[in-house]
Amino acid sequence: MNNTIHRISEFLVGLLFGLGLILSGMTDPGKVVGFLDLFGSWDPSLALVMGGAIAVGFFAFSLAKKRTMNFLGGLLRLPNSQVIDRRLVIGSLMFGAGWGIAGFCPGPALVSMASGQPKALLFVLAMLAGMVGYELLDRFIHAPRKAKLNPS
Amino acid sequence: MTLAPAGFASEPRIDAGFWTVIAAGLLVGIGTRYASGCTSGHGVCGLSRLSPRSLVATLSFMGAGFFIVYIVRHIV
Repeated sequence: MNNTIHRISEFLVGLLFGLGLILSGMTDPGKVVGFLDLFGSWDPSLALVMGGAIAVGFFAFSLAKKRTMNFLGGLLRLPNSQVIDRRLVIGSLMFGAGWGIAGFCPGPALVSMASGQPKALLFVLAMLAGMVGYELLDRFIHAPRKAKLNPS
Repeated sequence: MTLAPAGFASEPRIDAGFWTVIAAGLLVGIGTRYASGCTSGHGVCGLSRLSPRSLVATLSFMGAGFFIVYIVRHIV
């Protein structure tokens, strides 16, 4: 029963997130690239959407930071890594390059699939392939190397 | 500066060609896993938590985005 409530709340939260992306126009790569195009007719929408989201998120996370359980009684865990390393920067640069080329980041791309545009679907398939590819690489190349460096 | 009208669920405008879309998708997939986050994860949630790590990630992907769009729209 408790599990069902969690699944329903996840679904509703996803629905809200997707709706926010659609309403703010962020599912349209044209608007995203319009924001990234500083030297064209710059469209600041994305910065306003992000700023608005952070304004809400700041209070939500301030509350969440004080709790160990969520309102439905589940464990509440927030990321606690403070490491700023090569992975973070190189990964973000790669992501930013792809984002600039297509105008899609993961959330809006998933929502855009519903538009039925073949390119949106193609993007998501390539993105999933990239994620799975990374995962496999990490498991079979990085992990054994790490294990060799510090044998437990 | 133009605040283009959003229009409810307006048709996504994807300028990139098919092969470019695939390349971009792969970059986004690998990059977000490698950096453990995207615009929502680092950009919205991370910055809301005032995480320095997410600030570095956000500056990195925004910088790369600005750079690539400048190349694509104004150089090539």
